[in-house]
Amino acid sequence: MDTSQPVILEMKGISKAFPGVQALENVDLVVYGGEIHGLVGKNGAGKSTLMAILMGIHQMDSGTLEINGHRFTSMTPHEALEAGIAYVPQQVRMMDSLTVAENILAGNLPVNRLGLVDWKATYQEAQERLHKLGLELDVHERVEGLGVVEQTMLAIAKALFSNAKLIILDEPTAALSRVDIDRLFGFVRSLKKMGVAFIYISHHLEEVFEICDRVTVLRNGQLVGTYVVSELDIPKLIRFMVGEDIRDYERSSSKQDDPVLVVKGLTRRGHYEEVNLVVHKGEVVGLSGLAGSGAASLGRALFGLERRGIGEIWVNGKPFTARDPRQALDQGLAYLPQDRYRFGLVGSRPVRENVTYTILHQLLNPAGLISFFKERTLVQRYINDLGVVCPSPEQRVNLLSGGNQQKVVFAKLAATRPSILVLHEPTQGIDVRAKIDIYRIVDELASQGVAILIISSEVRELLGVCDRILVMYNGKITAEFKAGEPVTTPENILLTIEGGNIYEQKQMDPVRS
Amino acid sequence: MSRSKWIQFVLDRMIWFILLLVILFFWLRAGDKFLTGINLINILLHASVLGVLTIGQTICLLSGNFDLSAEGAVSLLTVLAAWLMLPYREMTLAQAGGIGWELSPFIVIPIILVLGTVIGWINGFLITRLRMNNFIVTLAMQLFLRGLAFVISLGAIMPGTPKEFNWLGGGRIGAIPVSVIVTILLFLGFEFFLKYSRFGRELYAVGANRDAARASGFKPALTITKAYMIGGFMAGLASWMLLGRLEVSVPTLGVGMTLETVASAVIGGVALSGGSGSIMGAFSGVLLLSVVDTGLNLMEVDPFWVTGVRGLIILVALLLEVQKARIRVGAVATRSGSSTGTAAKS
Amino acid sequence: MESNRANRVFIFVVDNLIWVFVVVSLIVFSLISKSFFTPFNLVNILSRVAPLGLLVIGQSFTLITANFDLSSESAMGFTAMVAALLLASQKNGGLGLEWNPFVGILIMLAVGVLIGLFNGVFITRLGMNNFIMTVAMLMVLRGATYAISPGKSVNFLPEAFKWLGGGALFRVPLENGKMLAIPASMFFLIFAFLVAFAVTKYTRFGRNMYAVGANRQAAEAAGIDARRVILWVYIISGFCAALAGLLDAGRMDSATPRTGAGLIFPVQAAAVIGGISLFGGRGNLIGAFGGVLLWGILDTGLNIAKVSPFWIEVSRGALLLFAMFIDALKVSYLRRTAIRKVLSASPIGLKDPIQQLE
Repeated sequence: MDTSQPVILEMKGISKAFPGVQALENVDLVVYGGEIHGLVGKNGAGKSTLMAILMGIHQMDSGTLEINGHRFTSMTPHEALEAGIAYVPQQVRMMDSLTVAENILAGNLPVNRLGLVDWKATYQEAQERLHKLGLELDVHERVEGLGVVEQTMLAIAKALFSNAKLIILDEPTAALSRVDIDRLFGFVRSLKKMGVAFIYISHHLEEVFEICDRVTVLRNGQLVGTYVVSELDIPKLIRFMVGEDIRDYERSSSKQDDPVLVVKGLTRRGHYEEVNLVVHKGEVVGLSGLAGSGAASLGRALFGLERRGIGEIWVNGKPFTARDPRQALDQGLAYLPQDRYRFGLVGSRPVRENVTYTILHQLLNPAGLISFFKERTLVQRYINDLGVVCPSPEQRVNLLSGGNQQKVVFAKLAATRPSILVLHEPTQGIDVRAKIDIYRIVDELASQGVAILIISSEVRELLGVCDRILVMYNGKITAEFKAGEPVTTPENILLTIEGGNIYEQKQMDPVRS
Repeated sequence: MSRSKWIQFVLDRMIWFILLLVILFFWLRAGDKFLTGINLINILLHASVLGVLTIGQTICLLSGNFDLSAEGAVSLLTVLAAWLMLPYREMTLAQAGGIGWELSPFIVIPIILVLGTVIGWINGFLITRLRMNNFIVTLAMQLFLRGLAFVISLGAIMPGTPKEFNWLGGGRIGAIPVSVIVTILLFLGFEFFLKYSRFGRELYAVGANRDAARASGFKPALTITKAYMIGGFMAGLASWMLLGRLEVSVPTLGVGMTLETVASAVIGGVALSGGSGSIMGAFSGVLLLSVVDTGLNLMEVDPFWVTGVRGLIILVALLLEVQKARIRVGAVATRSGSSTGTAAKS
Repeated sequence: MESNRANRVFIFVVDNLIWVFVVVSLIVFSLISKSFFTPFNLVNILSRVAPLGLLVIGQSFTLITANFDLSSESAMGFTAMVAALLLASQKNGGLGLEWNPFVGILIMLAVGVLIGLFNGVFITRLGMNNFIMTVAMLMVLRGATYAISPGKSVNFLPEAFKWLGGGALFRVPLENGKMLAIPASMFFLIFAFLVAFAVTKYTRFGRNMYAVGANRQAAEAAGIDARRVILWVYIISGFCAALAGLLDAGRMDSATPRTGAGLIFPVQAAAVIGGISLFGGRGNLIGAFGGVLLWGILDTGLNIAKVSPFWIEVSRGALLLFAMFIDALKVSYLRRTAIRKVLSASPIGLKDPIQQLE
């Protein structure tokens, strides 16, 4: 680690609270010029909040922020850009229908003496600028014609042209092949030599070891520490991320013997291969994997939101043939989507309507109209059972808090009396109290005999509520952990999620020194 | 919270207050002439065809789509109905007869209603299956249908529709025109229907959030197609009503009505983005336009000004609508500020 | 690499599809009718579509930024009426002021600019939906045109005013001894399209328009003031509408309360057929010119081929539908290829392909 480089970013004692959550508490982060600084932690550890503060999207409650020696007490997104902070998201959004050159020089195209755009100079300048960074792209090509890695590299280059000093890379490799990852890393390394600093956010720890110089670990909104990567190995890093194993939720299994969901050899090219799994009555099964591991697609495919590929699926001993959500619900499979704002709720409609969307056909009176009496009683029962806090069932759903919104989605699904419930990141973006409530609901449903499959990247959460945890890596189920066995530890699970094998002493060969 | 609830209450009923004000204005200016029974019935009569079309438009707008084709359907279906019913006659002075089949109105009426529904289905098919832009599809459909109306009529008017056919548009029960009764019944019926039927729920859900509606087990493509079919059916009904009242088919009938229906719906609080608004709200919009028309007419204002005044009313209604949305967003933001932090990553 | 080239050829062909249509329609009509491919007729087509062409320019500017301007046909009628009232004598329907024609032209252009400014301010500053705003404007202006008109057409305008729309630039002798008048409007149309093309292709403002239309957030992040760009685009559209009014009033030697009525759909159609995408950020003005030409050729050609004018109306609807279809296909093809590239590059799926497809 070359400490002779100037300090680009110094964040000290950053705290930030949201109602109900202490998102960050006294966190420090120091980044030097020419450094690639990893930022790791589980979901909800505070990475995104920290970055949002750095980008001026959120204001910190306390702490100091210094960029290039300039001190900021509060910052707007615009000031953050001015100060040289650039953010490159996983999915880069650019002006697709325009050429690479125009995207680079947008708003500032070179003009000739007549004030007209000089296209020759534009292409030349764009080419030269890219060349200086060692990036060879056809500047005449439209951006929509580029591959993902080119678009990401172009976004990095664009940030540098607008004088970025520090670039935040958020999971840039999730949709990339190995070859493309190598190209991207090569590019990032060459920029590093020019003194550009990077903050690298990734769940792929393997990549953190491959490209980062130092790594900062966050856990539950607190700083664990900043470490030099070469003095670390993956199990150690995972231990830092997970911390002490505290069970925050106690439960007893209500698993019965009859299988409810049986998946045999399900394969969809490019998403998942040869998936076999069984979920029994009253059993809670966790399914975890990195972005792109296929766990998320599997959930959506089961519900009929995506194509399913080939293979057999049985629900309650009958072949499961649903091609769209309606049929899936009718055949006893309900799904809680990850993005509840987009897929879960109709925000501008009242709670009452949202709860009964899935079961309207059961509420019809002999005239074929909805019986408001039946509807109100049913909705009131679910509001009471799940403890939804709302002034009245007529309240618009988007006025509720995140936790209560999630409970409304649960009510909507539970109302269909499913035999198998697939939950996708059920506790994302909701506060701790509501999380406990959600766990309680899951338990309650399981004890009523519902089979539950939770797709989640929160290992701690899975350990708390599941009877079994399956791990998916690269489209395949690679490991299975049973609750209560000694090998079932957060460290081991995370290791397999990262593609390692807990039974081999030598973890993961790609860690090169 | 109670204050914002109160604001909400007023905002949601703003249009009725405006309507009252406008009526008050005309009452003061035009005197007792305005509040006579005949004039009030005139207002409603004026609102009937527009109202029927507005119901269809509102249902499409609630699903998040425009239906610009309804006025073209009116042109075609009125011409077609006259053409099928009237005896053959050589064209003289741009007046003509029908094809000479002289079909009974009892056959023709189902034909135009079914045809209207089929037009709606085609719109729905193109939009949901071929994923074409709803605005352009229905616009092109409008041009196409109006073109067909000209092709059939050769630009001529066809007077003298049979009595049985005219009953809906021109008949009266006591002093009250049948069309007024039917229109009011339709508005009440559809308000009730959308509120208490499964289709109504689907419609609002699909319009407000198509993805969530799908994930809740609805079929957005089907719902939207149904909405267009209702729109087409209402266009057929409006054609029947209009032709019955005028007793003569003119190929330019219906021209410009699309904008009026969209305007009525928007004035009545139906959101162009879909999923918000009500049929009775749209009715208030229809009434407002109709009151203004009749009132200005009574004051003997130059009819050319009327178009301009209508445009102005639409502008004002829109401005209010936009401000309303802003106030709402403000209220939501202060209320649910807590969720923004945790949702940052999504 | 091979597929890359195929892709590029595909994009090139799709981008220039309009010229294929233009050439095909020219050939077809020449074969159908001998009187079609004559200098007289070709010149006639161009001068007839000139007002339409000007409206298409204005519309293209707004469409490139992903905005509609449906008010332009009324703006055209209104400005023409304003100018005619100021210029015509009282017995021909004017106010009897009989101002200098150049003052009249200046005033009508200023009115056009004001209309555009009004649209632009309401849309960019007050957050009105562009579609509904301009529809309302369409109605207001049409009503206002009727209101200020004497209720009938205003005719017999001064020579200097008419020159651009109806005057001849010079005359060419034909083989049969007749003289062919080359209309000024034809040259003006071509000139206007060239200027518009230059503005969109060779000025920063023009490129900012494309940037805003392609991705407004990205454009704003690059320091482009999107609201100002959109405001200016509406002003330009209003200005073009006034020019269209000038051409039309000049050609007809009159302004009527219905001047321009019903033109808005042909305008949209010509722009879209010419490759200007309704989704913004795509297409160029040369293509839009092709769209205008095609419209004119079909109109005149079908007329000469003695197709009933009513079928022409039907064919217009069908043409618009077809153009729209091509546009939708193109955009969805481009999106799909982009996604396929991602899929083929990655051993395992995208994080969330459904969110991109839907």
